[in-house]
Amino acid sequence: MKNEQFVYVTYIRTTPEKLWQALMDPEFTQRYWLQTRQESDWKPGAAWRAVAPNGQAIISGEVLEIEPPRRLVLTWRNEMKPEQRAEGYSRVTYGLEKQGASVRLTILHEMDKPGSKLLQSVSDGWPLILASLKSLLETGEPLEETRRYVAC
Amino acid sequence: MQKPKLVYASYIRTTPKKLWGAITQPEFTRQYWGGFANVSDWKKGSRWQHLNPEKEVWITGQVLECKPPRRLVLSWADPDKLTDVSRVAYEIEAIEDMVCLTVTHDKLKAGSKMLRGVSWGWPRVLSSLKTFLETGKGLNIFCKH
Repeated sequence: MKNEQFVYVTYIRTTPEKLWQALMDPEFTQRYWLQTRQESDWKPGAAWRAVAPNGQAIISGEVLEIEPPRRLVLTWRNEMKPEQRAEGYSRVTYGLEKQGASVRLTILHEMDKPGSKLLQSVSDGWPLILASLKSLLETGEPLEETRRYVAC
Repeated sequence: MQKPKLVYASYIRTTPKKLWGAITQPEFTRQYWGGFANVSDWKKGSRWQHLNPEKEVWITGQVLECKPPRRLVLSWADPDKLTDVSRVAYEIEAIEDMVCLTVTHDKLKAGSKMLRGVSWGWPRVLSSLKTFLETGKGLNIFCKH
């Protein structure tokens, strides 16, 4: 089977520790990630979910690898769209690497299904969420478009 | 076989006009593009050059399309290898209080030094551009450690 993937690299003026926390702390993620909160114990094998303001899990999965503040690997299933949910679990790898006064953040999102709708959807979504994360860490304010929950 | 193509989308809290200036005016490009300048009169058919701080030409090409502040398409070549010409399109779209910038670099040669270079470079340059427009100061993009 063809392994489809989306890769995005961004450089953020911050520290690996601050970025690591920004990816996992629900109080922080809801500021740049469409008001969703990341919930998990953040241990290998633990469940994780992205939860909408109404309490509904919109994404769910499991923590596969966690190595603070450098590497996080999660499984990821869309819980909102039946067509995407039926594709099952994809896999996301976050890589953080210090580069002088910045951090290089690499997102690798993989799905072992050709023509995956989920992969198409996250390929459109990641650049906006990561742009807002970068704005929030560098300026203290996320992008306006990412502050409200929209069913995705 | 299709030639390799890079697409990088970024969302920046700015206006199309300011972003256009940041791409086409040397006094701005120098501040986020590692001291490099993009120099041209930005008219269709004109030459454009990407100059390092010592004013040596690193990249040269032609302005293929220029529709400020929405769309700029350039040909792109190493001056020592003018037979190997790729193409870069900047597309700018305003959305609420921000701008979506999409850079598409295509007609690249598989396995080429240029493909390696621009794959390394675009995420750095475009991250630094966003930081520059939002905070007034670009990133030190050529930092290697």
